[in-house]
Amino acid sequence: MREERQTVARARGLVKRYGPVEAVAGIDFTIRPRECYGFLGPNGAGKTTTIRMVTCRIPRTAGELEVLGRDVDEAPAAIKAQMGVVSQENNLDESLTVLENLYVYGRYHGLSHQEALRRSHELLELMQLEGKARVRPMHLSGGMKRRLAIARALVNRPRLVVLDEPTTGLDPQARLLVWQRLAALKEAGVTLILTTHYMEEAARLCDRVAIVDQGRVVAEDAPDRLVARHSGQVVVELDRWEGALPPGTANGAGPIRRADPIGESLYLYGDDGDQILGWLRARGVRPLSFRVRAATLEDVFLVLTGKELREA
Amino acid sequence: MSVEIPSDLPQGRARSAPRRAALVWPHFNARSLTVWRRNALAWRRHAASSILANLMDPVLSLLALGLGLGLFVSRIGEYSFLEFIGPGLLAGSAMTWITYDLTYGCYDRLHWSRAYHAMIASPLSVGEIVAGEFAWQATRTTLFGLGFLALMAPFGIVHSPWAVPGTVVITLLTALIFTGPALAVGAAARAEEQLSYYFNLVITPMFFFSGVFFPLESLGPALRQVAQFLPLYHLVELARAFILGSPLPNLTTHLLWLGLFILISFLLPGRLLRDALERIA
Repeated sequence: MREERQTVARARGLVKRYGPVEAVAGIDFTIRPRECYGFLGPNGAGKTTTIRMVTCRIPRTAGELEVLGRDVDEAPAAIKAQMGVVSQENNLDESLTVLENLYVYGRYHGLSHQEALRRSHELLELMQLEGKARVRPMHLSGGMKRRLAIARALVNRPRLVVLDEPTTGLDPQARLLVWQRLAALKEAGVTLILTTHYMEEAARLCDRVAIVDQGRVVAEDAPDRLVARHSGQVVVELDRWEGALPPGTANGAGPIRRADPIGESLYLYGDDGDQILGWLRARGVRPLSFRVRAATLEDVFLVLTGKELREA
Repeated sequence: MSVEIPSDLPQGRARSAPRRAALVWPHFNARSLTVWRRNALAWRRHAASSILANLMDPVLSLLALGLGLGLFVSRIGEYSFLEFIGPGLLAGSAMTWITYDLTYGCYDRLHWSRAYHAMIASPLSVGEIVAGEFAWQATRTTLFGLGFLALMAPFGIVHSPWAVPGTVVITLLTALIFTGPALAVGAAARAEEQLSYYFNLVITPMFFFSGVFFPLESLGPALRQVAQFLPLYHLVELARAFILGSPLPNLTTHLLWLGLFILISFLLPGRLLRDALERIA
């Protein structure tokens, strides 16, 4: 098998500089067919810039970038013909109806009049927008607009769909509906690349996640393995306690892999909550108020960058 | 001993992106016509109000100036004032139809509706988008131009059988010349207010000093020379010849100038639009 069949997108030492600012500072990734790959990080981490290079929107400063087997600089039209893009900012065409948005986009992709119409109706049904065919996008709810943007990205039956923050700004119900659609796409064999700053989204949708901070990938793996490797399975959030923690706990001691002060609380990372609490009590620390919960990608981000994702 | 390499360089694999084209030409092909189709679909919805609004202006000028002011103006050469300004208004209006529509249109499609961002995510290239805009402006302007010609006819302005094909030639040439600059201005503007500089400093003065309302001979030889550099001047001369059947001794000179302006119009917008699409996230 040729290599391009095994990778959908591949970057080596990818750099994007704006004057002195390095938005993407040397990123490597290899994205395989049928997987959902997520770039997770705070605003300004370089996720969107990376995505814009992948979708042939901006030229790279240095490094290699191949998408669907072709160099993005050499064959943008051929790449874009097999790709669907859902951008962060809505760019639905307000001069056109919902149906016309899909139809016109089909024509951009070279579909004939008949094909474009047929495909548009198909997608309206798929995205549960049949009743809205003749209205303009401005009259749609946020969730419907996003579904229309996704529908439009599917008009050419792409092998790869790239989504920049697909559910930002949506209410939980609308978000769930979008997640279901994306899961169905993946099921149908489409490769997905998405950016998000929602942990839950990354954990739920992505087979692999690259955690991005300051233009670099600081870790990359399956979400559960990232959690297991970097934070441990469990977090004890210690709000109030009596007694002093043994010196050196911050960098791991006994069952505690690491401890971070977060606001007034102390987060203790490990794999077994009872063990951690028992170990503390045995050393004269009396937890008075605490919670034990499963670790998430949020904790991984905190451990890796020292920052909270939402505030970073 | 190892040589220290700065960590921000992708080591060993560093490869600059291929050098990018310095010029982005309009690329006319079947795909570029899908941009034309998009504009036509969008326009169809408000076609009636668009035609009314765009024809109102020259028709009012024709009535107010041609009939009103014309009472105080004796003949210009062998023509009445109304006859004199009719063809000029056709060319001048074609220029403003394009300019108003596309400077704001381009700015809108980059900053608000972001229709260009959607287009560029499809296989469309910047050159094809530009070509589609040229094709659409040519269509729209020709439609308006023929409408205006029909409205001029009852005033007895249309003398030549060449008026209909002549109008098409004038509107097509005007579209070829003014679409590029309008797109370029819309793409280069960082704020909407900046668009008005182009109207106030370029389009409006050109309208008044290209011989639409008075023969340039009355400006003196120096200013007449300057007028050569105004594309509208050549279009007005051509329009008068086509519609009134007046002689046009310097046809070749006019066509050479118009060719030059078309070249500039083709060259201007591509790169600015490409840069704008990269700049505006």
